[in-house]
Amino acid sequence: MITVSVKWQKEMFKDVEIDTSQPPYVFKCQLYDLTGVPPERQKIMVKGGLLKDDADWSTLGVKEGQKLMMMGTADEIIKAPEKGPVFMEDLPEEEQVVALGHSAGLFNLGNTCYMNSTLQCLHSVPELKSALIKYSHSGKSNDVDQSSHMLAIATRDLFNELDKSVKPVAPMQFWMLLRKKYPQFGQLHNGVFMQQDAEECWTQLLYTLSQSLKTTGSSENPDTVKALFGIELVSRVHCQESGEESSEAESVYSLKCHISQEVNHLHEGLKHGLKSELEKASPSLGRSAIYLKESRIDGLPRYLTIQFVRFFWKRESNQKAKILRKVDYPLELDVYDLCSDDLRGKLEAPRQRLRDEEGKKLGLKASKDGSSSKDNDVKMSNAEGSSNGSGEPSMATSQEDSETQMTGIYDLVAVLTHKGRSADSGHYVGWVKQESGKWIEYDDDSPIAQREEDITKLSGGGDWHMAYICMYKARTIPM
Amino acid sequence: MAPDPNASSSGTVPSKDPKKKKDEKKEEDLSDEDLALKQQLELYVERVQDPDPGLQKVALESMRQEIRTSTSSMTSVPKPLKFLRPHYGTLKAYYETMQDSDLKKYLADILSVLALTMSAEGERESLKYRLLGSEGDIGSWGHEYVRNLAGEIAQEYAKRQSEEAPIDDLMELVQQIVAFHMKHNAEPEAVDLLMEVEDLDLLIEHVDSTNFKRTCLYLTSSARYLPGPDDMLVLDIAYMIYLKFEEYPNALQIALFLDNMQYVKQVFTSCDDLLRKKQFCYILARHGITFELDDEMAADDDDREALQEIINNSRLSEGYLTLARDIEVMEPKSPEDIYKAHLLDGRASAGASVDSARQNLAATFVNAFVNAGFGQDKLMTVPSDNTSGGSSSNWLFKNKEHGKTSAAASLSMILLWDVDAGLAQIDKYFHLSDSHIIAGALLGVGIVNCGIKNDCDPALALLGDYVDKDDSSIRIGAIMGLGISYAGSQNEQIRSKLAPILNEAKAPLDVIAFTAISLGLVYVGSCNEEVAQAIIFALMDRSESELGEPLTRLLPLGLGLLYLGKQESVEATAEVSKTFNEKIRKYCDMTLLSCAYAGTGNVLKVQNLLGHCSQHLDKGETHQGPAVLGIAMVAMAEELGLEMAIRSLEHLLQYGEQNIRQAVPLALALLCISNPKVNVMDTLSRLSHDTDSEVAMAAVISLGLIGAGTNNARIAGMLRNLSSYYYKDASLLFCVRIAQGLVHLGKGLLTLNPYHSERFLLSPTALAGLVTMLHACLDMKAIILGKYHYILYFLVLAMQPRMLLTVDENLKPLSVPVRVGQAVDVVGQAGRPKTITGFQTHSTPVLLAAGDRAELATEKYIPLSPILEGFVILKENPEYREEH
Repeated sequence: MITVSVKWQKEMFKDVEIDTSQPPYVFKCQLYDLTGVPPERQKIMVKGGLLKDDADWSTLGVKEGQKLMMMGTADEIIKAPEKGPVFMEDLPEEEQVVALGHSAGLFNLGNTCYMNSTLQCLHSVPELKSALIKYSHSGKSNDVDQSSHMLAIATRDLFNELDKSVKPVAPMQFWMLLRKKYPQFGQLHNGVFMQQDAEECWTQLLYTLSQSLKTTGSSENPDTVKALFGIELVSRVHCQESGEESSEAESVYSLKCHISQEVNHLHEGLKHGLKSELEKASPSLGRSAIYLKESRIDGLPRYLTIQFVRFFWKRESNQKAKILRKVDYPLELDVYDLCSDDLRGKLEAPRQRLRDEEGKKLGLKASKDGSSSKDNDVKMSNAEGSSNGSGEPSMATSQEDSETQMTGIYDLVAVLTHKGRSADSGHYVGWVKQESGKWIEYDDDSPIAQREEDITKLSGGGDWHMAYICMYKARTIPM
Repeated sequence: MAPDPNASSSGTVPSKDPKKKKDEKKEEDLSDEDLALKQQLELYVERVQDPDPGLQKVALESMRQEIRTSTSSMTSVPKPLKFLRPHYGTLKAYYETMQDSDLKKYLADILSVLALTMSAEGERESLKYRLLGSEGDIGSWGHEYVRNLAGEIAQEYAKRQSEEAPIDDLMELVQQIVAFHMKHNAEPEAVDLLMEVEDLDLLIEHVDSTNFKRTCLYLTSSARYLPGPDDMLVLDIAYMIYLKFEEYPNALQIALFLDNMQYVKQVFTSCDDLLRKKQFCYILARHGITFELDDEMAADDDDREALQEIINNSRLSEGYLTLARDIEVMEPKSPEDIYKAHLLDGRASAGASVDSARQNLAATFVNAFVNAGFGQDKLMTVPSDNTSGGSSSNWLFKNKEHGKTSAAASLSMILLWDVDAGLAQIDKYFHLSDSHIIAGALLGVGIVNCGIKNDCDPALALLGDYVDKDDSSIRIGAIMGLGISYAGSQNEQIRSKLAPILNEAKAPLDVIAFTAISLGLVYVGSCNEEVAQAIIFALMDRSESELGEPLTRLLPLGLGLLYLGKQESVEATAEVSKTFNEKIRKYCDMTLLSCAYAGTGNVLKVQNLLGHCSQHLDKGETHQGPAVLGIAMVAMAEELGLEMAIRSLEHLLQYGEQNIRQAVPLALALLCISNPKVNVMDTLSRLSHDTDSEVAMAAVISLGLIGAGTNNARIAGMLRNLSSYYYKDASLLFCVRIAQGLVHLGKGLLTLNPYHSERFLLSPTALAGLVTMLHACLDMKAIILGKYHYILYFLVLAMQPRMLLTVDENLKPLSVPVRVGQAVDVVGQAGRPKTITGFQTHSTPVLLAAGDRAELATEKYIPLSPILEGFVILKENPEYREEH
């Protein structure tokens, strides 16, 4: 018999007797009584070795009063969960995109930042994407020329690729077809492709898409692009000299924000842009006279595109020079007072309801401690995003027309900026609001997260990026 | 206005002129007093040449009197000497003609003094006449004379050494001078002279209780700048003096510096006070060496056990927790508390709904580093009772594959030094079937035992059997665990377990690499032949392609660690390494050289290493990385060399190739480990945005290392910004996270600095751990960012609480007021200068930052160690009286 002391965790069991004639297993059972650790889990350390169940005590040289150390868990042993967690690194690429929270960037193929930024802005319109998905080879009709058709297909494929890839995408196919359709984009200067005006690219691309998509859809939805971006204007043309007055209606894809000395804010620029003077032959005077044309919005699009007229042709330098003037634009734009009386009447009811709802929300918010307005915005756009997303994508426009109403209030969703002194030089970048409410700056192949307050700082007045085209999304209210 | 410039010019010119004239006049127009003195002296000179010996004698006496009484100051020549100047030649000439007599000696004395100002440079006439003179009391001629004489002796000694002429007469003079200096608070001069004449032993006779401290301080600090083996000699003398005056803690420190176990033993045997011996044990424990007491050192068994327990560091965890409780940082911190993402706007990574294995792994490390040693955290030790919660409750399973190894091991990092609780908690992982988790548990056993020794040898008992398992990740876990827990122990059993692995033909390269490192750690600085042979053979057996693998770098490093700080002892092995395959030869050479001279401050070796870095390579050789690290390893010894090394590294940054630039941040990290110098911080911050991602990663990690355990707000801010800057780059973000964890190491209570005891002693195991980690960082992508991230756990070897914990005679914590301030260099200063500046008064336990020194602010207790760091035993002062 030897007595030893055994240390287990922080406890010390003194005077444990070892019957050296019995195998150590017996000793372990003794310890089981003391500690509750089953013998098979016991690890007893004796001078740099573990005590084996069938060891011989005499060879181990355990001395009287020696301290032994035991390791073992008395409680339930943890088990590995049956299903391990899924790691981002293991996900297929498209799911990684979801986790990433934004889509991929586009490689610059040599002065193609104007095209990349345009594509990124348009890519953020889900309705356009779904319309393109519906567009297929077979849907091609005869009145669309081959190159337009091919360009639409390329756009569709590129948008698809953007959604699925984590790494930047090289828009080779698209660019080739764009040059084919619009040879002006293939201009060379010193052997390299020239920088182009992004606005031109934007307009041409939308025109092509509208041509291609027009003919495909069902009868109820003749022109998807027009439904999404088209702005109905009614104009009153008035000649002061003769007192003649006429009215015309037209449809445009973007509003122009004219920049002059008095314009400090987008709203003023838009008003300015809706008034113009033109000279035309006056039937009553029998000569050409100055007519004043005042336009008003008669139909609102889902996506309101606003172009800042920053470039003008400067004859002396023979280039498109840029107006650097700072013109502020809001994150939330109200076009109510640019609307025709007809439209105003239609907007009145939904606007009231929207106000009520917001008041309710704010009231609730106010009771909690004042969270930032940014939060509000994000939440609202989220809610909206989900309502849009829930609808059948292909039928999105038509259905939502029936389900929701315009309010004349718009939220900023994309900004295309230009940095530099002339349209054909400098750098274009797209800033796009994601569904998550985050803003991403797409500087060619590198998407960079940005803060919302920095987006409004792109209003010009220096050599920083300044907004050239803004895209607003309509805030709608369900019927 | 014409007259004005004239006026002004005429105004300035005359003002100068009169001054000059005045000076001239001064020469001529002496005051009456001076004139009288001059005439008097001239008279004496004449009389000296008088044939009458009586008259001569009187004249000499008087002249001597005049010289002695004149006040000598450093700034001007004493008047008598000045007036005698023109007569020096005459007196000299007359001296030659004189007959040998007492008078002649007398004159020689005076000539010796006159030569002080008049003899031509290099003639050493003062000494010459001194030796010819009457050999009277040397001090009677004043300090300046003695000083001058000492200088001439040094020159003369060198000359005679080269001519192999006898030096007995010189040594006699040296005796006198040393005795004079030691008596007059000029210990540095005495030491300098003795060093010049290579006879430091003389010093022991002349030190007394009033001056030995200053003498030893001068000796120990000058040792750093002496070439070997002189430095050893100097320290030997200091050791002897300390022993003579029973300043055992100091003697022990020198013994540890010399790595001379015989001396350590002598300290124990010479002292018979148990309490003081306990203090010695604390010093040994902090140094991290394995030391077994025997009967001679502590006769009583119980005492010996108590002492051994202190050396074994079994109370370290307790002391550390006492500190933590006192500072009130026990509350566990989660990685998010460290990232402080809320301070970053916008850029912070999107609230990912999916776990990223990389990020979870980073969080694992951050959690381990931050909560190291506290015994509780928010990820690993949370009770997993709600097993129904499944995977979400258990962090371990939120890591992927090899990540689980690090996660399992992180538990032991949290329970660091607390062997009992640690083993109990790790045990549960042994029952799982996942080999990665078992590997982590094995590694964990090693970590929890790091620096702690236990009679039962739990680490060896538990890990021993796993070393020979089939699964290589399990093997690595066990091998690395053994290396960490037995670092520096030179344990034979470990060698017999590990060395055969190196010869295994089928063993994978990673197993062999980790075996080499573990053996290097266990036998660090031992120059063990057999281990060296084993590693050399393993290196020779590697195939050409294996030599190109990133992990192969650990083999030469393991070899180098054997010779850590052992200087020339490496030469034989370095010769052998020249026969290695071309691919690894230079790498091995650099590693061996840098390890062998690590912590010596050897300038020649730094130059040698710099020379290697200045070459521009085009064959893709990799040896410049270790060479750059080597510069830091060698130069980290003392402050001056360190500053110079930082400057040299800046140059390398500008002119070096990419492989050098990658290593520079790591070298800077080693130089300023846990000591965030602002200039280095700025350099690293700049490099952290480098276009070369390897450089950026190294710089980020290095930022963490220089701030390790400091909670430095500036570095924390930099890293936070980097985390948003690199939020897309998973690899760099991982590095940023690791660095953030390091900055908050042990919530700011720990340090990684291998230097301790006022930067005097270098803990070999701590340095070995750091160097291993840094070498691994030379190929960040393949090792740290690959599947060997657990190499980061080698840092545990260098982790120590940066505290001062005072304990009473029963070793229970005792709170006393202490002043903590920036240490001041008081070497060679007379009197009792202040040793700290800008101090604040705290009560113990307190934290000590880099370069801080503490002193007791009360007379009530006497510390048993002169250096207030780590555990210090306080004894009540019997002479203390309360003031009222």
